[in-house]
Parts: sequence; C-alpha cells; structure tokens
Amino acid sequence: MEIPYNVEVREDTGVYNSKLGIWLFLASEVMLFGGLFSAFILLRTGAPVWPPIGVNGSILPLLEHTIPHATFNTIVLIASSVTMVMAWVALKTKDLGKFKIYLGSTILCAIIFLVVKYFEYTHKIHEGFVPAHDTFMAIYFTITGLHGLHIIGGIIVLAYFFGPGIKMWDTEPERFTNRIEIVGLYWHFVDLVWIFLFPSLYLLN
Amino acid sequence: MSAKDVAHHVITYRNVFILLLICTGLTVGAAYVDFNVPKSMAGALFVGLTIAIFKGYLVAGNFMHLKTEKKIIHYILFLTVFFLFVLLAVPVLWHIDLVK
Repeated sequence: MEIPYNVEVREDTGVYNSKLGIWLFLASEVMLFGGLFSAFILLRTGAPVWPPIGVNGSILPLLEHTIPHATFNTIVLIASSVTMVMAWVALKTKDLGKFKIYLGSTILCAIIFLVVKYFEYTHKIHEGFVPAHDTFMAIYFTITGLHGLHIIGGIIVLAYFFGPGIKMWDTEPERFTNRIEIVGLYWHFVDLVWIFLFPSLYLLN
Repeated sequence: MSAKDVAHHVITYRNVFILLLICTGLTVGAAYVDFNVPKSMAGALFVGLTIAIFKGYLVAGNFMHLKTEKKIIHYILFLTVFFLFVLLAVPVLWHIDLVK
C-alpha cells in the first residue's frame, strides 16, 4: 500500500504529510536543545565564576584562541544553508546538474565543519580540558557533541540523496523535490541551533 | 516555479546570506565591546543574543520558508516556542527560589 499525501496536499492540514512530520520532529528537537540550554543557564547563573576554574585553570584563554575557528565554522554552516536551499531551487527548475553541485557543496561544507570541530576538540582535550574538568566543559561537550551528531546524521541523509536516493528523480520527481525540501528544513534547523550556540559558548563568557 | 520566481528567490537568498555574514561579524564584535555594565556580561549577552534571534528569524523566515508557510505549521511553532520559554524560565525561577 502506498503512503498517501507524499506529493499532493492534504485538505485538512494544507501541507503534504512529510512536511507536517518534519515540523513536528523539529518541534521535539527545539525542546531537546532547549532543555540543554536551560541546563546551561542554570549552571551559568549558579556558578560564582564563569567559566569555572578547574585543575588546569580557566578555559577562557583557550576559548578566545578558538573564536576564529568557531567564526569560520559559523560562516561555513550559513553557506551550507544557502547551498541547501539552492539545491531545492535547482530541482524546482528541473536542473539536476545544478542540484548535484549545490548538494555536493552542502555535504562538503558539513565535512569542513566537522574537521574544524575535530581539531578544536583535540586541542582542548590535549590541554586537559575534558568534560570532567568543570561544568562549562561538561555542558560545552554535551551541546556541541549533540550538535555534531546532528551534522553527521545530516551528512548521511544528504549523501543518500546525492547517491542512491537520486534515482527517485527519474520516476517521481515531485516526491524527490519534496524529500529535498524536508531534509533542507532539518539542515537549516541544525544551522539555526549553531547560530545560538556560537555566541553562548564561545563569545559571551 | 517560473523563471521570475526563481530569480526572486535567488536574490532573496543572496541578500539573506550577506545579512547573516554581517550579523556574524557584529556578534563577534559585540563580544569585545564594553557596554558599561560593571563586572557583568549583561550588555554583551543582550546584544549577542538579540543578534542571534534576528539571525534565527532570517534563517527560519527565508530558508525554511516560514514567512509563506501554512497556518498549521505556525500553530505548531507557536506552541513549541511557548514551551521553550517555560523551559528556559525554569532556571530563572530556580534562581529566585520559586521552584526549590
């Protein structure tokens, strides 16, 4: 049996089913990251010194050192959001060649983001600033780690649509375009989360 | 989607991209500005998070097409944002000893 309303719009909701589904999923994601932000605020307002000073001192000098990397990563993620939405526009204009270029660029940006994050993590861990060092490092690794997992999840889905998943374009182009819109919504959300993480964790300490 | 629609979309996305880059620069700059709030990051926090909210609006409104989305999506998000504020308010309530 075929799943209904993949392409056509439902009369009662005004949207196709997977769009409603992704927005409900994103709503749950807002609460997930919101809960961690809430924990961050609680830890921050309750600490006499922020970030707390542990056995290796304060993370502040190292954090200031990594601001250029985090700024670069912010620009990379914003650029990936633009290429993602342009991939959708390319499908709307039935230009599969451009779609591949834009989607490929999005995946590349996501990989660059993770590589920069890897170097950032290893530098901090090498200096002894592990999650157990203090409450700032604990919440820092928890939130950025969860965000990084979302990036990895996004890369897997985007790579699927760049590779084997693209076959659907030949048989059901409208459904494929909707799928790209849905994964795009997820990707923009990941960008949106980083927009709030960047000042909260790197700049405003 | 007509060629005119596509051109309009592309121009919007380009402008939003430029605005987001400017806002990112402002966010970084704001962290280094002394807002004359003694021994506090309150000024920088307010400016930094206000810019972040504006950037979030740009991404959600344009890239996620919220500006032209159906009412049901807006209702879902309204409920989500309401509960998000409740969640974010919990530490504040805790801090002023209402929840403890």
